[in-house]
Amino acid sequence: MIAPFSHVLALAAVVFTLGAYCAVARRNLIMMVLGVEIMINAACIALVGASLRWGSLEGQSFVLFILAVAATEVSVGLAIIVYAFRRAGSFDPDAYNSLK
Amino acid sequence: MTAFWSDHATLPAIVLATFAPFAAFFAIMLFTRGRPRLSARLSIGAISVSLACALYLPCVHWRMEQPLEYTAQWIASGSFSIPFGFLVDPLSLLMLTIVAAISFLVQMYSLGYMAGDPGFSRYYAFMSLFAWAMMSLTVASTVLQLFIFWELVGLSSYLLIGFWFEKFSATQAGKKAFVMTRVGDASFYIGLLLVLLHMGNLDILELGGPKATESMSPGFITLAALLVFGGIVGKSAQFPLLTWLPDAMEGPTPVSALLHSATMVAAGVYLFARLFPFFSLSSTAMTVILAVGTISMLLASTMAMVSRDIKRVWAYSTISQLGLMIMALAAGGWFAGVFHLTTHAGFKALLFLCSGVFLHTYETGDIFELSARGGRNLKIPALTLAVGAAALSGLPPFSGYFSKGAVMGALSGLTNPIWALAALVGVLLTAYYSFRVVFVIFFPGSGVAESSVHSHAAGEGHEGGHAETYRAMAWPLLVLAGVTLILGFFEAPLRGFLFGGATAPEAHESVYALMVHYAAIGLGLLGVAAAWVEFGWSRAKRVGLVERWSPALANLFAERWFLDHFYRAFMESVIDKGFASLAHWNDRRVIDGTIDGAGRRTIDAGRRTALWHLGAIQRRLLTTFAVVAFLALYFFL
Repeated sequence: MIAPFSHVLALAAVVFTLGAYCAVARRNLIMMVLGVEIMINAACIALVGASLRWGSLEGQSFVLFILAVAATEVSVGLAIIVYAFRRAGSFDPDAYNSLK
Repeated sequence: MTAFWSDHATLPAIVLATFAPFAAFFAIMLFTRGRPRLSARLSIGAISVSLACALYLPCVHWRMEQPLEYTAQWIASGSFSIPFGFLVDPLSLLMLTIVAAISFLVQMYSLGYMAGDPGFSRYYAFMSLFAWAMMSLTVASTVLQLFIFWELVGLSSYLLIGFWFEKFSATQAGKKAFVMTRVGDASFYIGLLLVLLHMGNLDILELGGPKATESMSPGFITLAALLVFGGIVGKSAQFPLLTWLPDAMEGPTPVSALLHSATMVAAGVYLFARLFPFFSLSSTAMTVILAVGTISMLLASTMAMVSRDIKRVWAYSTISQLGLMIMALAAGGWFAGVFHLTTHAGFKALLFLCSGVFLHTYETGDIFELSARGGRNLKIPALTLAVGAAALSGLPPFSGYFSKGAVMGALSGLTNPIWALAALVGVLLTAYYSFRVVFVIFFPGSGVAESSVHSHAAGEGHEGGHAETYRAMAWPLLVLAGVTLILGFFEAPLRGFLFGGATAPEAHESVYALMVHYAAIGLGLLGVAAAWVEFGWSRAKRVGLVERWSPALANLFAERWFLDHFYRAFMESVIDKGFASLAHWNDRRVIDGTIDGAGRRTIDAGRRTALWHLGAIQRRLLTTFAVVAFLALYFFL
């Protein structure tokens, strides 16, 4: 591997923090889902790096599964968001309070 | 690897040759879809680069002693590793050159044929994709890499066969080609995995070596070889998966030319030649393959005898010629098979491109109608059609004569004379059906003389109005006809090139082999004569032998031995009524029932928990993160 494993981990940590910040701070459901996606991808980076570091394929195959699950998650999530937008007329997560 | 530094131009040339069309594909799809002329220029520029590289490489490596391999690690895990790279040896260089040359000519020809088509840019993008996939396939260094490009070739041929997707039959044909080849590919893939599990790698050069015999038992090698051959059966349209090929005629004619000569179907035979040492390890597998090749060759020839569509005749003849190549290879005639693949690429492309001109001019593929409307007035296509048909029939001095001679030599080396006999029957049928087409088009007969006058005017008008497109289509024909004329005389140099430094095994000329050789020429001429008596002659009845003897037999041939009917019945009874209805029941009762139940439970649970809800998602998320972070701090620090 050209880059040391610690760099990969650092990159994953930075990306994960960015994603977490996006999921927590943005006032838009779509951006929240995006943040979650970025967090997932950060985990994937760490997994791929680890699989290269220890020379075993499991990490990579795991990532493939994660990607598939993430793709379905996005499609389901977006469908829910579209539906929620029709009902509430807003993307703000705080607008969904009709269950209160 | 010592040769790596001694000539460093090889690797860049290969990379350039294979990736230029790929770059063109991307550029066209992303940027120039709205600008057809630029797209065509990009695509043709890329294939010219590939052609230049492909021509340069054999010149450099003309006397190559041993194959070069450039690889890098791709996947490594536990007991197996798969590199990714390029394998350069005479066979891959020869195939690379053929593919690049035919793709180049076909793309130039398409400038005329596809002019004004709304999907012009898309067409060239797919053509580039096709060229990239096929060229990468030829230089693949492992079977897995070959398989990846093998599938890409399948994909691009699907896209091109169904290119005119607004035509229902075209989409159907594309689908059929895709699905039928996939059946073969599944078997190929299983065979590949079996080999991988036992040998731990899939290197093409090691596959036929001592390592294979050490790690696998003979019965196992036979099984693996037959499974891999399943892929060849699908790709090269051999029996029983041969019916997709004639339907693939729904695509634009240049596509058929490319598909039938240098790419797609040739990929199967190429794989066989590539893995020839591996297949040779099992004599049982070789015999089965020989039988499959023979059956396909004879079946397809009979189908071609009664077909009225010019493109379909050539499609059937492709199946039969591929069968002949596979027979030659299975009989141990490696050079014969490869040489026939080479010459066939030339003359089959020529035949298809000629038919394309007829089709483009008269918008019909029916040979009798073409003849009635004066097809012979198109001088260049008609002449080159005759050249191609002569090569296909194996008449001297055209290229097909030499390669068929080599094939016959290989087959006569077998102890069982039945294979050579079957091949001779095939030669007779081939000569008959090819010249049937030629004579029908050349001699419209007396009954339709008056209608040919009026279509003559149509032909004139065509040449006047679209002289440019006609010229764009004509010169590739002349080039290919020239190649067909002279290629046969390069048999000896080609043999030297393919066998490299090693001395080529001498063809043993026994009396029997000579007899077979002359019989092949004689039967070829007999076939031509039979076609002349029935279609060429001024008092000919212009009805085929088969139709006169037995209409039932003709029907059997025209319906492709009812293979398609059999497949449809099989699909209906076993797949639709069996598996599909079972799966449907399972889907409705088991899966839907479970999921609906789970959904109802969820809704119930949701109703109950909603009572406690405050609606502040993000604050909760933040709390969760904070808690996890603190827990992590607590445990890890």
